[in-house]
Amino acid sequence: MFNLSELENDALVEVFNIGVGQAASSMSGIVNETVRMSVPSISFMNRADAGRMLAGGPDLAQERICGVSQNYDGAFRTEAILMFPEDKSLEIVRLMVGEAVPLKELTEMEQEAMCEIGNIILNSCVGTLANIFQRELQGSLPRYHLGTSDEILTATGSQDDTVLMLHIDFVVERQQIHGYVAFILGMSALHDLKDQINQYIARAMGQA
Amino acid sequence: MHAPPDNRLSLLESVLSAVSLGAIVLDGERRIVLWNGWMTRHSGRAAEQMVGQDFFAAFPELRGHRVDAAIQQALYNNFPSLLSQTLNKAPFPLFARPGDQDRLQQAVEVMPVSLADAARHCLIQITDVSLAVGREKLLREQAMVLRSQTFSDGLTGIANRRHFDVAMEKEHRRAKRGNLPLSLLMIDIDNFKAYNDHYGHQKGDQCLIQVAAALAAILKRPGDLIARYGGEEFAIVLPETDVEQATLLADALRLRASELGIPHERSSSEARIVTVSIGVATQVAGQPVEIAALIGAADRALYQAKRSGRNRTHARLPD
Repeated sequence: MFNLSELENDALVEVFNIGVGQAASSMSGIVNETVRMSVPSISFMNRADAGRMLAGGPDLAQERICGVSQNYDGAFRTEAILMFPEDKSLEIVRLMVGEAVPLKELTEMEQEAMCEIGNIILNSCVGTLANIFQRELQGSLPRYHLGTSDEILTATGSQDDTVLMLHIDFVVERQQIHGYVAFILGMSALHDLKDQINQYIARAMGQA
Repeated sequence: MHAPPDNRLSLLESVLSAVSLGAIVLDGERRIVLWNGWMTRHSGRAAEQMVGQDFFAAFPELRGHRVDAAIQQALYNNFPSLLSQTLNKAPFPLFARPGDQDRLQQAVEVMPVSLADAARHCLIQITDVSLAVGREKLLREQAMVLRSQTFSDGLTGIANRRHFDVAMEKEHRRAKRGNLPLSLLMIDIDNFKAYNDHYGHQKGDQCLIQVAAALAAILKRPGDLIARYGGEEFAIVLPETDVEQATLLADALRLRASELGIPHERSSSEARIVTVSIGVATQVAGQPVEIAALIGAADRALYQAKRSGRNRTHARLPD
Protein backbone atom coordinates (compact mmCIF):
# COMPACT_ATOMS: atom_id res chain seq x y z
CA MET A 1 0.00 0.00 0.00
CA PHE A 2 1.01 3.59 -0.60
CA ASN A 3 2.68 5.10 2.45
CA LEU A 4 4.00 8.39 3.74
CA SER A 5 6.98 8.94 6.01
CA GLU A 6 6.16 10.00 9.56
CA LEU A 7 7.11 13.59 8.74
CA GLU A 8 4.90 13.63 5.62
CA ASN A 9 2.06 12.06 7.56
CA ASP A 10 2.31 14.65 10.35
CA ALA A 11 2.41 17.51 7.85
CA LEU A 12 -0.73 16.23 6.13
CA VAL A 13 -2.57 15.74 9.45
CA GLU A 14 -1.65 19.32 10.36
CA VAL A 15 -2.98 20.62 7.03
CA PHE A 16 -6.28 18.80 7.45
CA ASN A 17 -6.63 20.02 11.01
CA ILE A 18 -6.28 23.61 9.78
CA GLY A 19 -8.98 22.83 7.19
CA VAL A 20 -11.53 21.28 9.55
CA GLY A 21 -10.77 24.04 12.08
CA GLN A 22 -11.95 26.59 9.50
CA ALA A 23 -14.97 24.44 8.69
CA ALA A 24 -15.85 24.25 12.39
CA SER A 25 -15.65 28.00 12.75
CA SER A 26 -17.98 28.51 9.72
CA MET A 27 -20.45 26.07 11.22
CA SER A 28 -20.26 27.72 14.64
CA GLY A 29 -21.22 30.96 12.85
CA ILE A 30 -24.25 29.31 11.26
CA VAL A 31 -25.64 27.75 14.43
CA ASN A 32 -24.39 30.40 16.88
CA GLU A 33 -22.93 27.71 19.07
CA THR A 34 -19.46 26.21 19.41
CA VAL A 35 -18.76 23.47 16.89
CA ARG A 36 -15.36 21.80 17.14
CA MET A 37 -13.74 19.46 14.65
CA SER A 38 -10.43 17.69 14.52
CA VAL A 39 -8.64 15.06 12.47
CA PRO A 40 -6.90 12.73 14.91
CA SER A 41 -5.38 10.49 12.24
CA ILE A 42 -5.21 9.63 8.56
CA SER A 43 -4.46 6.39 6.77
CA PHE A 44 -4.15 5.01 3.27
CA MET A 45 -6.03 1.86 2.29
CA ASN A 46 -7.57 0.24 -0.74
CA ARG A 47 -11.22 0.64 -1.50
CA ALA A 48 -12.29 -2.79 -0.30
CA ASP A 49 -10.59 -2.31 3.09
CA ALA A 50 -12.10 1.14 3.38
CA GLY A 51 -15.56 -0.35 2.81
CA ARG A 52 -14.98 -2.97 5.50
CA MET A 53 -13.68 -0.40 7.97
CA LEU A 54 -16.66 1.89 7.41
CA ALA A 55 -19.05 -0.99 7.85
CA GLY A 56 -17.48 -1.53 11.27
CA GLY A 57 -16.92 -5.26 10.72
CA PRO A 58 -17.86 -8.01 8.28
CA ASP A 59 -21.30 -8.62 9.83
CA LEU A 60 -22.33 -4.99 9.60
CA ALA A 61 -21.83 -4.56 5.88
CA GLN A 62 -25.53 -3.86 5.40
CA GLU A 63 -25.64 -0.94 7.79
CA ARG A 64 -26.41 2.24 5.91
CA ILE A 65 -23.96 5.09 5.60
CA CYS A 66 -24.82 8.65 4.72
CA GLY A 67 -22.34 10.35 2.42
CA VAL A 68 -21.82 13.73 0.78
CA SER A 69 -19.45 13.74 -2.19
CA GLN A 70 -17.71 16.34 -4.29
CA ASN A 71 -15.27 15.97 -7.18
CA TYR A 72 -12.17 18.09 -7.43
CA ASP A 73 -9.93 18.57 -10.41
CA GLY A 74 -6.87 20.67 -11.23
CA ALA A 75 -3.54 20.32 -9.40
CA PHE A 76 -4.72 16.82 -8.53
CA ARG A 77 -7.91 14.92 -9.19
CA THR A 78 -9.88 13.35 -6.39
CA GLU A 79 -13.33 12.47 -5.27
CA ALA A 80 -13.94 13.50 -1.67
CA ILE A 81 -16.69 11.92 0.43
CA LEU A 82 -17.78 12.87 3.92
CA MET A 83 -19.38 9.87 5.63
CA PHE A 84 -21.29 9.14 8.80
CA PRO A 85 -23.29 6.09 9.85
CA GLU A 86 -26.93 6.89 9.05
CA ASP A 87 -28.01 7.28 12.70
CA LYS A 88 -25.11 9.68 13.34
CA SER A 89 -26.09 11.79 10.34
CA LEU A 90 -29.58 12.14 11.81
CA GLU A 91 -27.96 13.21 15.06
CA ILE A 92 -25.71 15.79 13.41
CA VAL A 93 -28.51 17.39 11.47
CA ARG A 94 -30.69 17.39 14.57
CA LEU A 95 -27.91 19.03 16.59
CA MET A 96 -27.16 21.59 13.88
CA VAL A 97 -30.77 22.42 13.10
CA GLY A 98 -32.03 22.15 16.69
CA GLU A 99 -35.06 20.19 15.48
CA ALA A 100 -36.96 18.39 18.23
CA VAL A 101 -38.96 16.01 16.05
CA PRO A 102 -36.49 13.83 14.20
CA LEU A 103 -38.10 11.61 11.61
CA LYS A 104 -36.75 8.19 10.73
CA GLU A 105 -34.81 9.42 7.72
CA LEU A 106 -33.44 12.76 6.72
CA THR A 107 -36.10 14.74 4.85
CA GLU A 108 -35.31 16.40 1.54
CA MET A 109 -34.53 19.69 3.29
CA GLU A 110 -32.39 17.94 5.90
CA GLN A 111 -30.48 16.11 3.16
CA GLU A 112 -29.75 19.51 1.69
CA ALA A 113 -28.54 20.70 5.11
CA MET A 114 -26.30 17.62 5.29
CA CYS A 115 -24.98 18.53 1.81
CA GLU A 116 -24.17 22.01 3.05
CA ILE A 117 -22.30 20.58 6.06
CA GLY A 118 -20.35 18.34 3.67
CA ASN A 119 -19.73 21.24 1.30
CA ILE A 120 -18.26 23.34 4.12
CA ILE A 121 -16.05 20.53 5.45
CA LEU A 122 -14.83 19.25 2.07
CA ASN A 123 -14.17 22.72 0.61
CA SER A 124 -12.23 23.67 3.75
CA CYS A 125 -10.11 20.51 3.69
CA VAL A 126 -9.37 20.68 -0.03
CA GLY A 127 -9.05 24.47 0.02
CA THR A 128 -6.41 24.36 2.75
CA LEU A 129 -4.59 21.67 0.82
CA ALA A 130 -4.70 23.79 -2.36
CA ASN A 131 -3.56 26.95 -0.56
CA ILE A 132 -0.68 25.23 1.15
CA PHE A 133 0.39 23.59 -2.07
CA GLN A 134 -0.08 26.98 -3.80
CA ARG A 135 -2.13 25.31 -6.51
CA GLU A 136 -5.65 25.79 -7.73
CA LEU A 137 -8.47 23.24 -7.95
CA GLN A 138 -12.02 23.29 -9.27
CA GLY A 139 -14.81 21.63 -7.37
CA SER A 140 -18.30 20.31 -8.08
CA LEU A 141 -21.41 20.90 -6.00
CA PRO A 142 -22.07 18.35 -3.22
CA ARG A 143 -24.22 15.25 -3.80
CA TYR A 144 -26.04 13.28 -1.15
CA HIS A 145 -25.84 9.47 -0.98
CA LEU A 146 -27.35 6.88 1.30
CA GLY A 147 -26.36 3.22 1.12
CA THR A 148 -23.91 0.59 2.26
CA SER A 149 -20.28 1.63 2.52
CA ASP A 150 -19.45 -0.23 -0.70
CA GLU A 151 -22.27 1.47 -2.56
CA ILE A 152 -21.13 4.89 -1.42
CA LEU A 153 -17.47 4.37 -2.20
CA THR A 154 -18.40 3.38 -5.76
CA ALA A 155 -21.38 5.70 -6.21
CA THR A 156 -19.58 8.20 -8.37
CA GLY A 157 -18.03 5.57 -10.59
CA SER A 158 -14.45 6.57 -9.94
CA GLN A 159 -12.07 3.81 -11.07
CA ASP A 160 -9.30 4.79 -8.68
CA ASP A 161 -8.57 2.39 -5.91
CA THR A 162 -6.61 4.12 -3.18
CA VAL A 163 -8.44 5.82 -0.35
CA LEU A 164 -6.90 8.45 1.89
CA MET A 165 -9.10 8.14 4.95
CA LEU A 166 -9.41 10.92 7.51
CA HIS A 167 -10.95 10.17 10.86
CA ILE A 168 -12.84 13.22 12.00
CA ASP A 169 -14.29 14.09 15.37
CA PHE A 170 -17.20 16.46 15.35
CA VAL A 171 -18.23 18.00 18.66
CA VAL A 172 -21.38 20.05 19.11
CA GLU A 173 -23.25 20.55 22.40
CA ARG A 174 -20.70 18.33 24.16
CA GLN A 175 -21.74 15.41 21.97
CA GLN A 176 -18.94 13.84 20.04
CA ILE A 177 -19.66 12.21 16.70
CA HIS A 178 -17.11 10.23 14.80
CA GLY A 179 -17.08 10.33 11.01
CA TYR A 180 -14.80 9.98 8.02
CA VAL A 181 -13.65 11.86 4.98
CA ALA A 182 -12.41 9.66 2.16
CA PHE A 183 -10.34 11.00 -0.71
CA ILE A 184 -10.32 8.53 -3.57
CA LEU A 185 -7.09 8.97 -5.45
CA GLY A 186 -5.36 7.47 -8.47
CA MET A 187 -1.66 6.63 -8.57
CA SER A 188 -0.64 9.86 -10.29
CA ALA A 189 -2.65 11.94 -7.79
CA LEU A 190 -0.96 10.07 -4.93
CA HIS A 191 2.48 10.87 -6.27
CA ASP A 192 1.49 14.50 -6.87
CA LEU A 193 0.26 14.64 -3.29
CA LYS A 194 3.52 13.23 -1.94
CA ASP A 195 5.53 15.71 -4.05
CA GLN A 196 3.45 18.63 -2.86
CA ILE A 197 3.79 17.60 0.79
CA ASN A 198 7.54 17.43 0.42
CA GLN A 199 7.68 20.85 -1.22
CA TYR A 200 5.56 22.20 1.64
CA ILE A 201 7.87 20.60 4.22
CA ALA A 202 10.92 21.99 2.42
CA ARG A 203 9.40 25.50 2.45
CA ALA A 204 8.45 25.18 6.13
CA MET A 205 11.95 23.95 7.02
CA GLY A 206 13.56 26.71 4.94
CA GLN A 207 11.64 29.37 6.81
CA ALA A 208 12.34 27.86 10.23
CA MET B 1 -29.68 26.49 -38.35
CA HIS B 2 -27.92 28.58 -35.71
CA ALA B 3 -28.93 32.06 -34.72
CA PRO B 4 -26.40 34.76 -35.66
CA PRO B 5 -24.24 36.02 -32.71
CA ASP B 6 -26.24 39.16 -31.91
CA ASN B 7 -29.50 37.19 -31.93
CA ARG B 8 -27.92 34.56 -29.71
CA LEU B 9 -27.12 37.20 -27.11
CA SER B 10 -30.67 38.48 -27.06
CA LEU B 11 -31.94 34.88 -26.99
CA LEU B 12 -29.77 34.19 -23.92
CA GLU B 13 -31.00 37.35 -22.25
CA SER B 14 -34.62 36.37 -22.85
CA VAL B 15 -34.03 32.88 -21.49
CA LEU B 16 -32.28 34.21 -18.41
CA SER B 17 -35.13 36.58 -17.82
CA ALA B 18 -37.70 33.78 -18.21
CA VAL B 19 -36.16 31.06 -16.00
CA SER B 20 -37.87 30.48 -12.69
CA LEU B 21 -34.92 30.90 -10.43
CA GLY B 22 -32.97 33.90 -9.28
CA ALA B 23 -29.62 34.63 -10.93
CA ILE B 24 -27.15 37.28 -9.81
CA VAL B 25 -23.66 37.51 -11.29
CA LEU B 26 -20.86 39.36 -9.49
CA ASP B 27 -17.55 40.37 -11.03
CA GLY B 28 -14.17 39.87 -9.34
CA GLU B 29 -14.71 43.13 -7.41
CA ARG B 30 -18.07 41.83 -6.14
CA ARG B 31 -20.04 44.34 -8.21
CA ILE B 32 -23.39 43.16 -9.56
CA VAL B 33 -23.10 42.65 -13.32
CA LEU B 34 -26.28 40.64 -13.87
CA TRP B 35 -29.68 40.61 -12.15
CA ASN B 36 -32.32 38.52 -13.87
CA GLY B 37 -36.06 38.95 -14.25
CA TRP B 38 -36.94 36.50 -11.46
CA MET B 39 -34.85 38.62 -9.05
CA THR B 40 -36.68 41.76 -10.19
CA ARG B 41 -40.08 40.09 -9.75
CA HIS B 42 -39.36 38.80 -6.24
CA SER B 43 -37.19 41.59 -4.84
CA GLY B 44 -39.02 44.57 -6.28
CA ARG B 45 -35.64 45.95 -7.41
CA ALA B 46 -35.05 46.41 -11.14
CA ALA B 47 -31.88 45.41 -12.98
CA GLU B 48 -31.22 49.05 -14.00
CA GLN B 49 -31.11 49.94 -10.32
CA MET B 50 -28.94 46.96 -9.25
CA VAL B 51 -26.37 46.43 -12.00
CA GLY B 52 -23.12 48.25 -11.27
CA GLN B 53 -23.77 48.38 -7.50
CA ASP B 54 -21.41 46.80 -5.01
CA PHE B 55 -23.12 43.61 -3.79
CA PHE B 56 -22.54 44.42 -0.12
CA ALA B 57 -23.70 48.01 -0.61
CA ALA B 58 -26.97 46.52 -1.89
CA PHE B 59 -27.14 43.85 0.88
CA PRO B 60 -25.11 45.23 3.83
CA GLU B 61 -26.71 42.67 6.20
CA LEU B 62 -25.02 39.84 4.28
CA ARG B 63 -21.50 41.06 5.02
CA GLY B 64 -19.79 38.46 7.23
CA HIS B 65 -22.73 36.08 6.58
CA ARG B 66 -22.36 32.66 5.03
CA VAL B 67 -23.29 34.22 1.63
CA ASP B 68 -20.16 36.37 1.99
CA ALA B 69 -18.01 33.31 2.74
CA ALA B 70 -19.52 31.46 -0.25
CA ILE B 71 -18.76 34.38 -2.59
CA GLN B 72 -15.16 34.40 -1.36
CA GLN B 73 -14.93 30.61 -1.88
CA ALA B 74 -16.13 31.05 -5.47
CA LEU B 75 -14.06 34.12 -6.40
CA TYR B 76 -10.79 33.29 -4.63
CA ASN B 77 -10.75 29.48 -4.23
CA ASN B 78 -12.82 28.51 -7.29
CA PHE B 79 -15.12 26.31 -5.17
CA PRO B 80 -18.92 26.22 -5.40
CA SER B 81 -21.01 26.42 -2.24
CA LEU B 82 -24.46 25.27 -1.30
CA LEU B 83 -26.52 27.19 1.26
CA SER B 84 -29.41 25.08 2.47
CA GLN B 85 -32.72 26.55 3.53
CA THR B 86 -32.52 24.66 6.82
CA LEU B 87 -29.23 26.13 8.02
CA ASN B 88 -29.63 29.60 6.46
CA LYS B 89 -32.98 31.21 7.09
CA ALA B 90 -33.92 33.07 3.88
CA PRO B 91 -30.81 35.27 3.44
CA PHE B 92 -32.24 37.42 0.60
CA PRO B 93 -35.22 39.77 0.97
CA LEU B 94 -37.35 37.99 -1.67
CA PHE B 95 -41.11 37.68 -1.61
CA ALA B 96 -43.75 35.73 -3.52
CA ARG B 97 -45.68 38.96 -4.15
CA PRO B 98 -44.74 42.59 -3.51
CA GLY B 99 -45.89 43.64 -0.05
CA ASP B 100 -45.75 40.12 1.46
CA GLN B 101 -44.41 39.92 5.01
CA ASP B 102 -42.76 36.51 4.89
CA ARG B 103 -39.67 35.92 2.79
CA LEU B 104 -39.53 33.13 0.24
CA GLN B 105 -37.75 30.05 1.60
CA GLN B 106 -34.50 29.86 -0.31
CA ALA B 107 -31.86 27.37 -1.36
CA VAL B 108 -28.80 29.17 -2.69
CA GLU B 109 -25.89 27.99 -4.83
CA VAL B 110 -22.82 30.14 -5.40
CA MET B 111 -20.73 29.01 -8.39
CA PRO B 112 -17.44 30.33 -9.74
CA VAL B 113 -17.65 31.49 -13.37
CA SER B 114 -14.42 31.61 -15.35
CA LEU B 115 -14.07 34.16 -18.12
CA ALA B 116 -11.41 34.28 -20.81
CA ASP B 117 -10.79 38.01 -20.65
CA ALA B 118 -11.59 39.05 -17.08
CA ALA B 119 -11.06 38.08 -13.45
CA ARG B 120 -13.25 35.21 -12.21
CA HIS B 121 -16.92 36.06 -11.66
CA CYS B 122 -19.46 34.22 -9.56
CA LEU B 123 -23.07 33.21 -10.12
CA ILE B 124 -25.53 33.25 -7.23
CA GLN B 125 -28.53 31.03 -7.98
CA ILE B 126 -31.57 31.19 -5.75
CA THR B 127 -34.33 28.58 -5.80
CA ASP B 128 -37.69 29.04 -4.09
CA VAL B 129 -38.17 25.99 -1.85
CA SER B 130 -41.22 27.28 0.03
CA LEU B 131 -43.40 24.39 -1.19
CA ALA B 132 -41.01 21.70 0.05
CA VAL B 133 -40.58 23.49 3.36
CA GLY B 134 -44.36 23.66 3.80
CA ARG B 135 -44.71 19.97 2.97
CA GLU B 136 -42.10 19.00 5.56
CA LYS B 137 -43.66 21.24 8.17
CA LEU B 138 -46.92 19.35 7.66
CA LEU B 139 -45.12 16.01 7.89
CA ARG B 140 -43.45 17.07 11.12
CA GLU B 141 -46.71 18.30 12.60
CA GLN B 142 -48.33 14.97 11.86
CA ALA B 143 -45.39 13.14 13.42
CA MET B 144 -45.75 15.41 16.43
CA VAL B 145 -49.46 14.54 16.78
CA LEU B 146 -48.64 10.82 16.65
CA ARG B 147 -45.86 11.26 19.13
CA SER B 148 -47.91 13.38 21.50
CA GLN B 149 -50.00 10.30 22.17
CA THR B 150 -46.96 8.71 23.80
CA PHE B 151 -46.00 12.06 25.26
CA SER B 152 -48.98 12.76 27.47
CA ASP B 153 -49.67 11.90 31.06
CA GLY B 154 -52.27 9.15 31.35
CA LEU B 155 -54.11 10.66 34.31
CA THR B 156 -54.21 14.40 33.68
CA GLY B 157 -53.85 14.50 29.87
CA ILE B 158 -51.15 17.19 30.04
CA ALA B 159 -47.58 16.50 28.84
CA ASN B 160 -45.65 13.79 30.67
CA ARG B 161 -42.14 13.92 32.03
CA ARG B 162 -40.61 12.65 28.80
CA HIS B 163 -42.33 15.38 26.81
CA PHE B 164 -41.08 17.92 29.34
CA ASP B 165 -37.48 16.72 28.94
CA VAL B 166 -37.67 17.00 25.14
CA ALA B 167 -39.36 20.43 25.21
CA MET B 168 -36.90 21.69 27.81
CA GLU B 169 -33.94 20.61 25.72
CA LYS B 170 -35.37 22.23 22.60
CA GLU B 171 -36.27 25.52 24.29
CA HIS B 172 -32.96 25.62 26.12
CA ARG B 173 -31.06 25.41 22.82
CA ARG B 174 -33.33 27.95 21.20
CA ALA B 175 -32.80 30.37 24.09
CA LYS B 176 -29.06 29.91 23.94
CA ARG B 177 -28.85 30.43 20.19
CA GLY B 178 -31.27 33.32 20.06
CA ASN B 179 -29.99 35.06 23.23
CA LEU B 180 -33.48 34.84 24.72
CA PRO B 181 -34.59 34.47 28.34
CA LEU B 182 -36.16 31.18 29.45
CA SER B 183 -38.20 30.61 32.59
CA LEU B 184 -39.21 27.44 34.38
CA LEU B 185 -41.94 27.06 37.01
CA MET B 186 -42.08 24.17 39.46
CA ILE B 187 -45.52 23.81 41.01
CA ASP B 188 -46.46 21.60 43.93
CA ILE B 189 -49.88 21.02 45.47
CA ASP B 190 -49.67 22.00 49.15
CA ASN B 191 -50.23 19.26 51.75
CA PHE B 192 -51.16 16.79 49.04
CA LYS B 193 -50.12 13.74 51.07
CA ALA B 194 -52.48 14.83 53.82
CA TYR B 195 -55.22 15.28 51.17
CA ASN B 196 -54.72 11.75 49.88
CA ASP B 197 -54.67 10.32 53.40
CA HIS B 198 -57.84 12.17 54.33
CA TYR B 199 -59.93 11.84 51.15
CA GLY B 200 -58.44 8.69 49.55
CA HIS B 201 -56.59 8.17 46.28
CA GLN B 202 -59.59 8.50 43.96
CA LYS B 203 -60.32 11.98 45.29
CA GLY B 204 -56.57 12.65 45.09
CA ASP B 205 -56.60 11.78 41.38
CA GLN B 206 -59.64 14.03 40.82
CA CYS B 207 -57.80 16.86 42.54
CA LEU B 208 -54.75 16.39 40.27
CA ILE B 209 -56.95 16.37 37.14
CA GLN B 210 -58.78 19.54 38.17
CA VAL B 211 -55.67 21.47 39.13
CA ALA B 212 -53.81 20.40 35.96
CA ALA B 213 -56.72 21.50 33.74
CA ALA B 214 -57.09 24.85 35.53
CA LEU B 215 -53.36 25.62 35.25
CA ALA B 216 -53.19 24.51 31.60
CA ALA B 217 -56.12 26.81 30.72
CA ILE B 218 -54.15 29.87 31.82
CA LEU B 219 -51.30 29.24 29.36
CA LYS B 220 -52.05 31.01 26.10
CA ARG B 221 -48.87 31.03 24.02
CA PRO B 222 -48.21 27.99 21.79
CA GLY B 223 -44.63 27.60 23.07
CA ASP B 224 -45.61 27.38 26.76
CA LEU B 225 -45.76 23.83 28.06
CA ILE B 226 -47.20 22.40 31.25
CA ALA B 227 -46.15 18.88 32.22
CA ARG B 228 -46.73 16.52 35.11
CA TYR B 229 -43.24 16.38 36.56
CA GLY B 230 -43.79 13.91 39.38
CA GLY B 231 -46.63 12.78 41.72
CA GLU B 232 -48.29 16.09 42.63
CA GLU B 233 -45.64 18.25 41.01
CA PHE B 234 -46.09 20.14 37.73
CA ALA B 235 -43.51 21.99 35.64
CA ILE B 236 -44.11 24.79 33.15
CA VAL B 237 -41.61 25.79 30.47
CA LEU B 238 -41.94 29.46 29.48
CA PRO B 239 -39.81 30.42 26.46
CA GLU B 240 -38.86 34.08 25.91
CA THR B 241 -40.10 34.98 29.38
CA ASP B 242 -38.10 37.03 31.89
CA VAL B 243 -38.32 36.65 35.67
CA GLU B 244 -40.89 39.48 36.14
CA GLN B 245 -43.30 38.06 33.53
CA ALA B 246 -42.79 34.54 34.90
CA THR B 247 -43.52 35.66 38.48
CA LEU B 248 -46.67 37.50 37.34
CA LEU B 249 -47.86 34.39 35.54
CA ALA B 250 -47.00 32.21 38.56
CA ASP B 251 -49.15 34.40 40.80
CA ALA B 252 -52.03 34.17 38.31
CA LEU B 253 -51.70 30.36 38.33
CA ARG B 254 -51.62 30.23 42.11
CA LEU B 255 -54.73 32.42 42.31
CA ARG B 256 -56.52 30.25 39.73
CA ALA B 257 -55.76 27.06 41.73
CA SER B 258 -57.18 28.49 44.93
CA GLU B 259 -60.24 29.81 43.03
CA LEU B 260 -61.16 26.21 42.28
CA GLY B 261 -62.09 26.10 45.97
CA ILE B 262 -61.43 22.37 46.34
CA PRO B 263 -62.09 21.64 50.04
CA HIS B 264 -59.04 20.42 51.99
CA GLU B 265 -59.79 19.78 55.68
CA ARG B 266 -56.17 19.01 56.49
CA SER B 267 -54.73 22.04 54.65
CA SER B 268 -52.44 24.39 56.53
CA SER B 269 -54.23 27.30 54.81
CA GLU B 270 -56.86 29.26 56.69
CA ALA B 271 -59.52 28.74 54.01
CA ARG B 272 -59.03 24.94 54.17
CA ILE B 273 -58.84 24.63 50.40
CA VAL B 274 -56.32 23.17 47.96
CA THR B 275 -53.51 25.63 47.16
CA VAL B 276 -50.20 25.42 45.27
CA SER B 277 -46.68 26.70 45.88
CA ILE B 278 -44.58 27.80 42.93
CA GLY B 279 -40.83 28.09 42.41
CA VAL B 280 -39.69 30.31 39.52
CA ALA B 281 -36.25 30.12 37.92
CA THR B 282 -35.14 32.19 34.95
CA GLN B 283 -32.19 31.87 32.63
CA VAL B 284 -31.32 35.46 31.73
CA ALA B 285 -30.96 36.31 28.01
CA GLY B 286 -27.36 35.82 26.88
CA GLN B 287 -26.34 33.98 30.07
CA PRO B 288 -27.15 30.33 29.40
CA VAL B 289 -26.77 27.81 32.22
CA GLU B 290 -27.10 24.04 32.20
CA ILE B 291 -30.64 22.61 32.16
CA ALA B 292 -29.93 20.83 35.46
CA ALA B 293 -28.95 24.16 37.06
CA LEU B 294 -32.20 25.75 35.92
CA ILE B 295 -34.28 22.86 37.26
CA GLY B 296 -32.24 22.91 40.50
CA ALA B 297 -32.90 26.64 40.94
CA ALA B 298 -36.65 26.16 40.38
CA ASP B 299 -36.65 23.31 42.92
CA ARG B 300 -34.88 25.43 45.51
CA ALA B 301 -37.27 28.32 44.84
CA LEU B 302 -40.20 25.94 45.34
CA TYR B 303 -38.68 24.73 48.61
CA GLN B 304 -38.34 28.38 49.72
CA ALA B 305 -42.00 29.01 48.86
CA LYS B 306 -43.02 25.96 50.91
CA ARG B 307 -40.85 26.98 53.85
CA SER B 308 -42.21 30.51 53.92
CA GLY B 309 -45.72 29.19 54.50
CA ARG B 310 -47.02 27.63 51.24
CA ASN B 311 -49.54 29.11 48.76
CA ARG B 312 -46.88 31.50 47.51
CA THR B 313 -44.40 32.15 44.72
CA HIS B 314 -40.68 32.39 45.12
CA ALA B 315 -38.23 33.28 42.33
CA ARG B 316 -34.51 32.84 41.99
CA LEU B 317 -31.83 32.94 39.33
CA PRO B 318 -29.70 29.85 38.73
CA ASP B 319 -26.40 29.91 40.65
